[in-house]
Amino acid sequence: MADGICLELAGNVPEQPSRLSGVDELALVRRAQEGDRAAFDALVRLYDQNVLRLALRLVRSPEEARDLYQEAFLKVYRSLRHFRLDARFSTWLYRVVMNVCLDYLRRQKARKEVQAPETEEGEQEYFQTVADDRPALDPERAAHSKEIGRRIQSALSRLNTRERMVFELKHYQGLRLRTIGELCGTTEQTVKNSLFRATQKLRLELGDLV
Amino acid sequence: MNCREFEESLTLFLYEELPAERRTACEAHLAGCGACRSALEELRRLHDVLAQRPRREPSPELMVECRQALDEALNREQLGWRGLVREWLSPLRFHPMPRVAMALTLVVFGFGLGWTLGPRAGRVPSGTPAVTPSSLAGVDLENMRISGISRVAPDPRTGEVRITMDAERRVILEGSLDDPRIQQVLVYAVKSYDNPGIRRDTLDALRARSSNPKVRGAMLYAMRHDPNAGVRLEALDAVRGLEWDSDLRLAFLDALEHDANPGVRVAAVDVLATHADETVLPVLQRVAASDSNRYVRLKCASAVRELGR
Repeated sequence: MADGICLELAGNVPEQPSRLSGVDELALVRRAQEGDRAAFDALVRLYDQNVLRLALRLVRSPEEARDLYQEAFLKVYRSLRHFRLDARFSTWLYRVVMNVCLDYLRRQKARKEVQAPETEEGEQEYFQTVADDRPALDPERAAHSKEIGRRIQSALSRLNTRERMVFELKHYQGLRLRTIGELCGTTEQTVKNSLFRATQKLRLELGDLV
Repeated sequence: MNCREFEESLTLFLYEELPAERRTACEAHLAGCGACRSALEELRRLHDVLAQRPRREPSPELMVECRQALDEALNREQLGWRGLVREWLSPLRFHPMPRVAMALTLVVFGFGLGWTLGPRAGRVPSGTPAVTPSSLAGVDLENMRISGISRVAPDPRTGEVRITMDAERRVILEGSLDDPRIQQVLVYAVKSYDNPGIRRDTLDALRARSSNPKVRGAMLYAMRHDPNAGVRLEALDAVRGLEWDSDLRLAFLDALEHDANPGVRVAAVDVLATHADETVLPVLQRVAASDSNRYVRLKCASAVRELGR
């Protein structure tokens, strides 16, 4: 299942230079647990693009995404010694990442800071820091597309933390509900409920675009 | 299935997350219900709209920036508090700073020096509640939620140690290494604390009481189980001078045969060579023939030759 998670999350990822077999990855984990920093760095390189991509989709601001990325991998580093080698490393890693994301979003939500960049400057700063993978659009379509993107982002920012996370993982990352439950440390039924509520809210927010 | 039941299943139907039986029931209902077909189409259009959300990749610059920041954070993590002090010092030495920032840095560093070198009692910085040895008895260490240890500072002149840690609030414990509560915190730090720099400092502090059974147990534990080779080496060095017994022999044999780090294995050879008996010699011979590291094999072979004379 963990490989499934990895592949699903990697669905939108530019191809990585090489993928390690489970045996190689296990050897890296063992070495990292013994304090081998180079082995830990190699593990980070295997997963960090996916983690940063997910962070960027959740928090939008590149600075926040960088903080989240760092917090997640530091937590992985600190708790690596508790990882049991009979479990899947990728599953464990993404669970740690999800917990960090959830905590971060909750903290940000509490500070009322989670929102799409509303100013033109904010939009420009964001667009300069992340690369758009779509083909170039004509100016009119680009403006329309930008407006749609802003509306979607605004609607997503109105979901609560768990709804937001579940919707991101289900709708945009394509994970199975059971997998999302495992990653977020909750039941499949709770995930279903969150997805249902998120969909209802988005229908209300974006109804005029449908 | 009625319309209300279909509405409840609609989201999962579109994501293909329904059990086969439920999905079949939905399809049967859709075939005969125009209103629910419209609801399904509406949700499909919503998905089409959501698909227009820009899909952006992290720029290479952001990726590099993140990796560099993480690398630095991991370096600090490995270095422990020494790294933090060095980090405080480096901008002071090498970078021009605004006056206010400079003053703040000096205050922070000055506080650090006073804290380290000042008299043992009565020099607690304001805002940092301290637990002095006399009030230590009132602290419930068993139930204290310790979230971090900032510093372990032994004083070789007095044999006492000062531990700064974050619990529900930051506290400073100060007392003799013979105080069982101080020992309890230090043993906890050696066995369980995440930061290898702190674990090394703690081992260093505990050296003076390494003959104490609890301390000795913690050191042997660190020597055999600590994930950081530097900490294992520190532990090995701390116990090498203790009275030799079967526990020590087993720990050193274990290090020689199983430690992943050749530096630790070499250190174990040195100690075992001075305590060789009928159980040690065969292990030295075995490792001399089979260790993956050439230097470890040579060290063992040399020890075996010496013992044969």
